[in-house]
Amino acid sequence: MKQLLKRKDSRWLGIWLAGILLVGIWDVLFLNRPALLQVTAGFFNTFCVALLVVVFTLLLAWGFALALHFLDAGRNRTPYMLLTFALNLIRSIPQIVGILFGYVGVSALVEAGFIRSPVLIFSLLALSISLFVFIEFVDLLRERIAHFQKLDFYNAMRVCGISEGRVINFDILWKNSRIHILNKLISVFGAAIFLQCSVDFIISVGLSTDVNSVTLPATMGSLLAKIDSKQDILAIGYTLTHPAYAGNLFFEHLMGLTVAFLVVFTLMSVYHIANGYAERHRL
Amino acid sequence: MNRKLFEHGLSIAFVTAVLLCVLFAVRSGTQTRTKAEAASSQTYGNLGFVDFDNAFHKALLKDAVNIFYPDQYEKNNAAVEKILANKENEFSRKLQESGVEERLSFGKLLQLLVMLLKFVLVYAVVMILTYYGVQTIAVFRFTRKKLRSRETTRSFAGVLARVAKTIGKTAVYFVLFSPAYVIAYSIRTEFNTDTIVFMALLGVISNGLLVTYANKFYAFLVAESRKGYVETALVKNLSDSYSPRGPGGIGYRAILRPAKRFDGHVFGHIFSNARYQYLSTIKEQASFLVSGLIIIEMALNIHGHLSYEMLRQMLYKNYDIVIAIILGIFYVVKGTEVVVDMMGNRAEKRMENK
Amino acid sequence: MNAHRYSVCIRAGERTIVTTDNYDVVPNEITFLFGESGIGKSMISKAVYGLLDPDDLDVTVNGRPYPEYCALASTHEIRDNSFFVFQEPSSHLNSLMKISDQLSEGSLRLCKDDSEILGRLWQNADRNALRRVLNVFPKPYRPSGGEKQRVLLAMAFKKMDVLASTKDDGAESFFVFDEPTGSLDNNYRNLFLELLFEKYTRRPFTAMIITHDYSVISELYARYRGFLPRIHLMELRRAGARAVEVIDFSAQEYLNWLGEKPPQVSGTVAGAAVLDFGARFSVFGRNLCLFKDAAHTQPANLVIRKGEMAYVKAPSGVGKTTLAKVIMGLYHAHDLAMNLCGMPITGRTGKKVWETRIWGKKATMVFQHADESLNLAATVRETFLGLPLARRLTPQTLVSALGELFEDSVTDAFLSKKVAMLSGGQKQRLNLLRSIVLGTDLLILDEPLNGLDFLSVKKVLSILDDRRGRGAALLMISHNEEIFDHFVGREHVYYLTECS
Repeated sequence: MKQLLKRKDSRWLGIWLAGILLVGIWDVLFLNRPALLQVTAGFFNTFCVALLVVVFTLLLAWGFALALHFLDAGRNRTPYMLLTFALNLIRSIPQIVGILFGYVGVSALVEAGFIRSPVLIFSLLALSISLFVFIEFVDLLRERIAHFQKLDFYNAMRVCGISEGRVINFDILWKNSRIHILNKLISVFGAAIFLQCSVDFIISVGLSTDVNSVTLPATMGSLLAKIDSKQDILAIGYTLTHPAYAGNLFFEHLMGLTVAFLVVFTLMSVYHIANGYAERHRL
Repeated sequence: MNRKLFEHGLSIAFVTAVLLCVLFAVRSGTQTRTKAEAASSQTYGNLGFVDFDNAFHKALLKDAVNIFYPDQYEKNNAAVEKILANKENEFSRKLQESGVEERLSFGKLLQLLVMLLKFVLVYAVVMILTYYGVQTIAVFRFTRKKLRSRETTRSFAGVLARVAKTIGKTAVYFVLFSPAYVIAYSIRTEFNTDTIVFMALLGVISNGLLVTYANKFYAFLVAESRKGYVETALVKNLSDSYSPRGPGGIGYRAILRPAKRFDGHVFGHIFSNARYQYLSTIKEQASFLVSGLIIIEMALNIHGHLSYEMLRQMLYKNYDIVIAIILGIFYVVKGTEVVVDMMGNRAEKRMENK
Repeated sequence: MNAHRYSVCIRAGERTIVTTDNYDVVPNEITFLFGESGIGKSMISKAVYGLLDPDDLDVTVNGRPYPEYCALASTHEIRDNSFFVFQEPSSHLNSLMKISDQLSEGSLRLCKDDSEILGRLWQNADRNALRRVLNVFPKPYRPSGGEKQRVLLAMAFKKMDVLASTKDDGAESFFVFDEPTGSLDNNYRNLFLELLFEKYTRRPFTAMIITHDYSVISELYARYRGFLPRIHLMELRRAGARAVEVIDFSAQEYLNWLGEKPPQVSGTVAGAAVLDFGARFSVFGRNLCLFKDAAHTQPANLVIRKGEMAYVKAPSGVGKTTLAKVIMGLYHAHDLAMNLCGMPITGRTGKKVWETRIWGKKATMVFQHADESLNLAATVRETFLGLPLARRLTPQTLVSALGELFEDSVTDAFLSKKVAMLSGGQKQRLNLLRSIVLGTDLLILDEPLNGLDFLSVKKVLSILDDRRGRGAALLMISHNEEIFDHFVGREHVYYLTECS
């Protein structure tokens, strides 16, 4: 236990879980039941979508990295150039704009009645985020492969007759890059939460106040955009100039405060976990 | 470099062509759709005796249709639903036409151009401020860490100071990791959050931008400090004191200076190499920043700003304007990539003695 | 011997990296320290010099915590008056600074005139040639490894001049040369020794020379006999799980072994040509030629038959490794005419042929840096997975194969050990075994003795000779000429050079 606490990543994982637990207990005691249900559902949905984003990003990135590598190694110049160009195009679109369009598309499909299953909705939302996040991951995998190709590592294994697939997948990516991959996945999880909350917030505030609540599952972003939550957050600013009001924040403005806290606290904790993990493994 | 410029040029030309095609397709599609909708609404909508806003009238219409066509409930219901949907669409269309429907005219383009320039201005200011902030924070953190690791004794007062520092740091982290809209909404009642200055400030301190890239720069410093050439610098007796005071150390002034130099110090080697590495992440940082600024403009509903305009036009389904805005943002991202590549190329040329 | 004795313990967290109680430094004398790579020679020397980073490691020297040891006046004195030549010259030069600026930075600035040192190290090359080396930002491909090594040596010699110019005769120094000749051929190695002893004669200093190049012993005995009383030959060897000890190295044992070793001992079964490689080929725009004589007058195809061992010699940087990579199809060469295991191969032969018919089946190669060639994150057992072996490697056959070079240390724990946890010498042995176990017709070995201690050198040579005796064709590439000149018959020695 002492050893675990010494590690920054494990310590922050503990802090994050403890923080969420503490907020949960506080909310059970002091937040009204309908709001509590909404916050719980919002947190759960956000968490699920972020996890799905991590899975999709990993699959997409691994697949594209391998495709690029083998096209390049096989000297298939045209498909290689086309794929690289397509990826660069996606890279040039600001993530938030791309995801926003993805969300609008999913929302339209839901409204038109084409999709109803929450699992499918979650998956499509996660996929639209992954599409604009996975390219950095492809870069990482390709960098790792290129790094080992530059060393004698790759050639030494190949001249021993070890197959290219095994060298790339097992020796380079699995054995020598899984720490880098896991570290990146932790960051992707944080980015997914941030992007998801932001897009939900924007859609709820900007596009229509009820499209999101009707068509898409509630998330922390959409909860934050609710008028009650906004007023709760405004109360923080009020407290800055009226410190005596601080006590009321934790009882009267609990919904907005809880959502905002969970978002910021999760982002901060994920950053520290990724950071600690990178430091521990000297990445 | 020429090859890279060619690639950039090609992708700019390609994206421009694709988006322009989409733009024209959207425009002609909208016109065709409007005509078709008008025709269909005429077919179903000529029931002047029915008040479609009245629930009783709607129920009566369903019953009447069922009486005329018995034994086909589902078909009848679907027909009535279609009439109602068409009526709703017609209403929305009229609403749009009454003031929110816009077309991409020359005047509109000029208006968008001004917004784009405003966007680029904020973007450039935030980029410069973060470039400075990232390096300053990272250098400060690195030098403090070096100092701490050389302390041989730890006093009780020192421990107390560290606890206080940790609490302060956590509070700062909370602000730095807050999405822009959380910060903006929490202080909206007390400050005017709709100014360009506030937007730029928010761009720097929110969304985790500063802290993420300061940490990246710090990681570069740590990685570089472990490299062999640093050992060579040490055995050449360059200073390796990190004390803020005294000869040979690294003072606060040197850390805060915009153009940082650490001549005669081992850290000079570490810093210049880390900064060189950092060049490669500027593209990534720029795209992060563009996303951040879009979030700020959209979430804060700041009128007259490019991203808010995009959101508004999306809502009103004026997709040709949306596409024009996306094209503008794409040019900003590409422009940054070209500038960064040119900077990298210049540095590389210098090292090749060209 | 009036030595300073250091006890050093280096730990990373809970793990002890290395510990020793008898690292002796004899003031104002020269010590040559041998021992297998990765055993801790460099790290202990760096600890004593005061170079380790307390952020990364927990170090104690003579019982003192490291920051305290580094703050001692004596440690400061060592750092002020000495220099440390690191073993990887490429990574020890700053790529964002011109070499000329790096040569006159910090305390090196006190040596006003370095033209004599540079002239000697570049064998009086003309000014332009020297400027081409000094006036550039170092890159991985430029200047060559040997030139970078000489730049670092020049820095050390400049520091010696600075020390000689100080009035304090009793000033303590500690010049460390970590594999100073690793990237140099014999000619430059001898030049280094010549300069070292010249500077030493002018003003004695304390020096620790860490090396695997046993042939330096012959050179010392041949040319510097007069200095022998002030020279110490030592070896660092294991004395427990992580403990090491310094013992005397017997120069006589090495010299006797060299005398005894007959070239190509028993069981020669020379048969059909396994490799017939054309005397001329072009690669990366350079024309390279193979000759049968050192004077480069008799061009000859490189022919190795079954049961033969050939040795290719060339000064460093000419292209010995490049030749090996061309044979293995890793580099594309023009004007290539080769017959490999009965297959005619030209510059147009596709990569697929190598992948499907040659690699691991007909021929294989051992690369020179075991650290780079092996998967350090894999276990010893996993190193042998995925090899295209004719017969499946059972646990028993794996243990017996490893036993050839690791003897009784092959336990279950050893097989499950990460390769990264092995010493440099153990890695090199594993690197060799991975290729040997394939039993290919042709085995190319690039610097096979890298990082091995004397005992392992003898063992590896014996195994290679055994494989040769059983019909394998072996091609050796090494700068360790003294050993291979004795080990390979003169008729199987080839000289590689650049030609017009």
